[in-house]
Amino acid sequence: MFDLFKAELLRFRWWAAGCVALQLVVLGFLTRVVDLAQQPLLVYRVFGAVYAAAGLLLGLYQMGGYRRPNTWLNLLHRPLAPSRIAVALLGAGAVLLAVGVLLPLLTIAGWQGGMTARVVDMRHVLLVGSAWIVSLCGYLVGAYLMLADKRQGYCAAVFLLLIVFSQATGFGAIALQLLSLAWLLAMVLVAFKPSLGTPARGAARTLVTAAPMTMTMWFALVMVGFGVEFLWIAQGSHPNNVAVPNVDGEKEIEVLDGKALFVKGLRNCTDPEAPLWREQAAIADIDGLFPGLGEAPARHQLTNIAPMEFDDPQRRVRWVFSHDTMRFQGYSLVDKRAVGALGMAGNAPFPAPVLPVGDNLLVDRSTVYQFDEDANLVLPRARLPGGEAITGYGKAGDDFVLVGERALYFYDARAFDGSDGVLEPRLRVPVPGRMGDVQRIDAMELLDGWLLSFSFARSSYNAEGTLPYQQIVRAFDDGRSVTVSRRDIARDYPDAWRYQNWYPSPVLYMVQKAAKNMLAGDMRPLPMATPPVPRTMQVLAGALMLFSLIAALWRVRRTDLSRAARIAWVLACGVLSVPALMALWAMYPERETVPDDLVAHPAMA
Amino acid sequence: MNDYVIETDALTKRYGRKLALDHLDLRIPRGRIHALVGANGAGKSTLFRILLGFLPPTAGSARILGRDSQRLTPEDRGRIGFVNEEHTLPGWMRVNAVTDMHRRQYPRWNEEAFRNVLGHYHVLPEQKVGQLSRGERAGFNLALALAQGPELLVLDEPTLGLDVVAKRAFLESLMYSNATDDCTVIYCSHQMEEIERVADNLVILERGRLMHMSAPDEFCARVTHWVADIPFKGPDPRSVPGLLQLQRLDGLHHYLVLDQQDDFAEFLRASGARSVQSMPVSLDRAVNGFLAKNHATPDAQRAQA
Repeated sequence: MFDLFKAELLRFRWWAAGCVALQLVVLGFLTRVVDLAQQPLLVYRVFGAVYAAAGLLLGLYQMGGYRRPNTWLNLLHRPLAPSRIAVALLGAGAVLLAVGVLLPLLTIAGWQGGMTARVVDMRHVLLVGSAWIVSLCGYLVGAYLMLADKRQGYCAAVFLLLIVFSQATGFGAIALQLLSLAWLLAMVLVAFKPSLGTPARGAARTLVTAAPMTMTMWFALVMVGFGVEFLWIAQGSHPNNVAVPNVDGEKEIEVLDGKALFVKGLRNCTDPEAPLWREQAAIADIDGLFPGLGEAPARHQLTNIAPMEFDDPQRRVRWVFSHDTMRFQGYSLVDKRAVGALGMAGNAPFPAPVLPVGDNLLVDRSTVYQFDEDANLVLPRARLPGGEAITGYGKAGDDFVLVGERALYFYDARAFDGSDGVLEPRLRVPVPGRMGDVQRIDAMELLDGWLLSFSFARSSYNAEGTLPYQQIVRAFDDGRSVTVSRRDIARDYPDAWRYQNWYPSPVLYMVQKAAKNMLAGDMRPLPMATPPVPRTMQVLAGALMLFSLIAALWRVRRTDLSRAARIAWVLACGVLSVPALMALWAMYPERETVPDDLVAHPAMA
Repeated sequence: MNDYVIETDALTKRYGRKLALDHLDLRIPRGRIHALVGANGAGKSTLFRILLGFLPPTAGSARILGRDSQRLTPEDRGRIGFVNEEHTLPGWMRVNAVTDMHRRQYPRWNEEAFRNVLGHYHVLPEQKVGQLSRGERAGFNLALALAQGPELLVLDEPTLGLDVVAKRAFLESLMYSNATDDCTVIYCSHQMEEIERVADNLVILERGRLMHMSAPDEFCARVTHWVADIPFKGPDPRSVPGLLQLQRLDGLHHYLVLDQQDDFAEFLRASGARSVQSMPVSLDRAVNGFLAKNHATPDAQRAQA
């Protein structure tokens, strides 16, 4: 086994050396011009895609070289178990990727950590490890593509999709990637057998290959939906792309200006002051408050939402947040030398990672900080109660408004410049719904408070969020708030479209959501008020499940599956619906038979 | 110990609308060198792939060294040597590295056999396999296979693409190796002169079926070549018993027939022959005639015939 491992290392040694050299040149250049540890998420995604592609190519090439019938026979026909041969080849691939990917990245990270004043945290080392794991996942996807039957080899890519779409963060992200890697390894080991084209046998082996295949089929149906949507857009009647949005519809919520939105929202308002508000709305300044921050940074997060740094123009210093010390570490923009640390209110560590958002403001999950340039201090200025998460902020009139997960908090904006203590909100207005559903918030100042329009329509198009509606709340300066109007917004999409990802398989729909949010910690999406599924959609989903069950009954009788496997597949199709049926169809061809009229050579002399 | 190294029962393999193996019943006894002969598409490679567990049969069963071919263990594989026509060895490895690997993997490694066979070739240990000529690679492959000490050695057209010198070197290294004494050899080839030299037993496959199995001489004895001087058209070919091949050269009718005795002369005379002469045929001619009998022809050509 070790001989095969060694031979494989020998086979690709120059490729690995070339990869190291190329990376050192590219990363060396990049690290001279930018801080690679402080790039936005998109940059890391591009790097991840490149490493996954490198691994994929290695897997395709390595196993593609062996897959030819005679070569495969020569490789496996020896007194070694196929699994041991696979481990030797895959182990060599892992080492080659470690050399080709991990080594140059660690070299650059080591240089940056040891030879510069830039911040290199443990999370960056984890990120480098993650790059290796992602390249290994790509490698195993390539290997599986080559070794598995062509009708199902592509399903391994579902794990790359999981890594891309997952909300897991920090150690959770590493754990998820390792889990994907382990599953992919199991898939390749199952496929690594003398008879390449035959389906896996045995419950465990079947589960290892059928689960990702079924999930891939669900994803394929989602892609069909995308395809139809592209055609719909091209045809010109898609609600998102029509010249004039549907009146009172979801799209209109996005495009209307604040004034018109208030007028619409107050149209059926019975409050005695409503006519006055409608008039005022037409001429007043309307402030938009969007929950645009998304999630706050989490400690040891592998990537950055945005670069965690800000510049002090007075002192020509760049402050970069370190997750290890929980302080900003500074270096001179003039000579790049270290200038020390900057903590909370002096040198105290921050309780949570802080993201600079401009205007000398910095936010963590529930606190807003302000950088005092004159005093060279970062001070906490506003803190939401009970650890409530900040989802956005903005100015409304003379007020500074923090958009919390559950309420809006109004602060006197002038106090931010005139004091240095933690400010208390002068007004708290509960959000009349779930923040995850909020599309936009508009504020109109009244003499004795605020009129606030909440539009809940963010995810109604795909039935994940509440049914769309607009609610107008009057907030008084004394702290009271009352709803003065509510109107339902017309849905731009029919139910059959909104639930297109759900009814093909309600179970897999839940599974993919759980998988995406697994190990996400505080990075989970904001909560939404998902409405109950309409009866018609339930009936449709049930009909599809029944159809899948019956079709599976018909299909399994034409395959070589054992009795137990047939029962398991029929039940799986009944529960998992159409994607499982598609997987069954793809994975198990009809049993080969020998009809009487079949001849060895049809055209004989 | 099982008396047969290979046993198949109604072994069938279907590719789309064709049968590569058609209810093949084959039993190859232990010991000696068995030649497996058949036209392209006769099912030889498919048979080997099923026997080695690299292809599932559509129907029937196959056993090799007494074991179900779909359930071969690594130990079983250590007892079966296999050399294919491409001599697929890792081209990036050096000869000594490949040898070391095999030496460690095969518990019954026979160093003397390896050196004896490789001695027929000018192969240097430090050479990369990719740098070897096709003939050298074939010899190196054979040396590896024989040194593994197999109970059964399958050679699937091992001399395909070799020049005359390389072919001779390959055959000599095979025939003069002591390693073949304790091993059954299945030799698959289209080269009848090779078969004549090495084979003790001749197995003919055609369209996935077993057509013949005997010593090569016995098969030659079944095929006779008759030359008849028939002044007219001659008998309808469909009425000629055991006809394999018919040619008309210089006004004489040449008949290659199977399993015909002296009474075939009477048949020719009754069909108008003025003189009749029979002669033995070489193995090459006999096998070619046998295999050409059912070779496919375009419909138009068939209609003309």
